[in-house]
Amino acid sequence: MHFQPIIGMSLEIGDMLYYLVLFAVLMLLVAKFAWGPVMDMMEKRRQKISDDLDNAEKSRTEAAQMAQEREEALKNSKADAVEIIATAKTNGETQKNLILADANTAAKDIKQKADLAAEKAKQDALASAQTQVADLSVAIAEKLIQKELTTADQTNLIDSFIKGLDPNETK
Amino acid sequence: MGEKPVVVQFFGLNFNLTNCIAGLVAATLVFIFVFVLSRKVEMKPNKKQNVLEYFIDFTNNIVKANMPSKYVSKFSLFAFTMFLFVFMNNQLGLFLEVIIDDHIVVKSPTASPVITMTLASITLLMSYAYSMKKRGFKGYLKSYMEPVSFLLPINIIEEFTNFLTLSLRLYGNIYAGEVLLTLIGGRLAKAQGFLSVIYSAPLTMIWQGFSVFIGSIQAYVFVTLSMVYISHKLSEE
Repeated sequence: MHFQPIIGMSLEIGDMLYYLVLFAVLMLLVAKFAWGPVMDMMEKRRQKISDDLDNAEKSRTEAAQMAQEREEALKNSKADAVEIIATAKTNGETQKNLILADANTAAKDIKQKADLAAEKAKQDALASAQTQVADLSVAIAEKLIQKELTTADQTNLIDSFIKGLDPNETK
Repeated sequence: MGEKPVVVQFFGLNFNLTNCIAGLVAATLVFIFVFVLSRKVEMKPNKKQNVLEYFIDFTNNIVKANMPSKYVSKFSLFAFTMFLFVFMNNQLGLFLEVIIDDHIVVKSPTASPVITMTLASITLLMSYAYSMKKRGFKGYLKSYMEPVSFLLPINIIEEFTNFLTLSLRLYGNIYAGEVLLTLIGGRLAKAQGFLSVIYSAPLTMIWQGFSVFIGSIQAYVFVTLSMVYISHKLSEE
């Protein structure tokens, strides 16, 4: 068996140059045909992923903001509703009081008028009664003059007359 | 390994045609590998692209682990190509050994110290070049006096040891693998006729599998150490 001796072997400088050139050419070819396109695509993908992440973050923030806005709007609408109800209640109360007051006034008016009318009717009735009494008295007196009567008879006569006039008015 | 290499003289330089052809084959295989995998590059990676991107990620991680982050993009292509090239050179002799008239034509180029030294010198020359580019020539020379001037001889010796360990580690591993493979396949199999052919077959397979493993590990180690040396030259001290 014959191993090539390391020491004393011819130094193959040509191989060295050949390999230097070979390696350089290989590196250039790899760079042109494989490394370049793949690295470009990896960079693009990295960029895209990073963009996508940024966008996702942005839309997340936007969504959160929107949700907050909605919540605030909801809260506001609740407050609005409460206010509206409160206002309505106040308005209703005021109106009720107003109507009640009006009704009271009207009722008082009507009652006063009725009182006045009643009073007037009573007065009128009394006046007419007096007139009639006077007329009757005159008639009675005329009749008495024609026919003598006792004092008691006369009193009875008058009382019965008055009673017969109006049972409500006499007391 | 018993076969003679083909050495020709060309412009007064010795060319070992075995290494030249094997290197060309390895480089071509590497190129075909990446070329086929990178034909349809898409935003959503397809299967082939995934394989290629896995390799790129793998070598990029080696660079990232050993380099300041601002230099990573500068050396990632170098690391990627170097890894695939060394890997292919390591594996070539395991499945391909072409022998014509007692002359070996194709074997693992990295089983020859000249080739591993060439690869190591590519790395080290790069590290010197980047160091000079960064500090200027004077700054580069001065970097041998750092951190204190009496370390100058040690720093110079370190350059030689770096060079030798980087190249000879790779060479030793692959050479030993090839030697043992030749011993099992070439000598042991023929020792006792038919019987030895039968029991040497699984041994060969086991050793080939192990050599694939060693070849991968050595490619990884080679690239990692390359990055360590380059980043050492680039680091601020």
